[in-house]
Amino acid sequence: MKIKVLLADDEKEFVNALAQRLELRDLSVTTVYSGEGAIEMAEKIDFGVIVLDVLMPEITGIDALKKIKKAKPNTPVIMLTGEATVENAIQGMKLGAFDFLMKPADTELLVGKITQAYTLKYEHEERIRQAEIENIINTRGW
Amino acid sequence: MENRNDKTAFFGKVTASVTHEMQNVLAIIKENSGLMEDFLLINQTGDLSDIEEKLGKCIKTIKKQAYRGVDLTSGLNGFVHTTDNARMSVNILDLVKKLISITERIFRQKNVNISIIESEKPYSVIIDPLFFQMVSFLCIECLVESFEADGAAAIDIRLSNNQAAIEFLYADSILKYEDYKEKIIHNAQWLKITDLCRQANFKAEISPGGFGILIIFE
Repeated sequence: MKIKVLLADDEKEFVNALAQRLELRDLSVTTVYSGEGAIEMAEKIDFGVIVLDVLMPEITGIDALKKIKKAKPNTPVIMLTGEATVENAIQGMKLGAFDFLMKPADTELLVGKITQAYTLKYEHEERIRQAEIENIINTRGW
Repeated sequence: MENRNDKTAFFGKVTASVTHEMQNVLAIIKENSGLMEDFLLINQTGDLSDIEEKLGKCIKTIKKQAYRGVDLTSGLNGFVHTTDNARMSVNILDLVKKLISITERIFRQKNVNISIIESEKPYSVIIDPLFFQMVSFLCIECLVESFEADGAAAIDIRLSNNQAAIEFLYADSILKYEDYKEKIIHNAQWLKITDLCRQANFKAEISPGGFGILIIFE
């Protein structure tokens, strides 16, 4: 099954080209062009990984990260930034971002990070499911 | 006014904005050239019937971004060269136009759209171009901060018809004019504007009857 990725950046031509490249690498990509759009989409659909640009008009990537983490705490978020400062990266990591990549990011590196983030999410959810099953078995004495 | 600090801060804001935008330009070029590589690789097995159309789209985007990059770097180059002369004859509207072209991203991030109203009689004045650009930038920042609660906003910049002055005008607000005046007077940027104007022989006034700031050249 393909990993479902949400890609959010206000630079449409960047998003569209990167989305096509990720699709060619077997990922299923949904694109949005604003922080607001990212929040709405993340609340509606269960994505495997979300990739967010830091600087977007109105709702920034950092603000979107906060809201997404509140609504979907287990969904890993990778931040992309054109700023060479560490402040945003530190803030993002504190807010629970999976990783921070400088724009333009190496595509194979990004795909690697997406796969790694999704694998960790999947394993975490698997462990929760396993614990739930064991709990049911134990409580029912099977 | 701590001139050195303010000048440094102003240069920092402008260059950070332009270089950030350049990063975006390069990111688009990088992804589109990468996409072309991807298409060519897939096409080695002869699977892409519309390869010419796909490559054509990428080339068109790259070309567009190259021009955007050229505009940004020449804008930035022009900006840094305004420090070459302490006083010179400047076409006011032209200089503001150039400043806005490299800083509009800063205000777009805050959902503010800036328009420059063309004048029938543009004129030049002898001023310190850097001081004037700093004052212009601060006027916009001051209006944006004062009207932040309004959400999406528009600021018009136009030459005054009856005196040697330029006006930064906030298009519309839910505020009353008296409340607007109070807000501006208590804004930290207003103090900087009036201080800079005093040093540069300009005069800053709150627009009479409109949500704006008037910079008068003495």
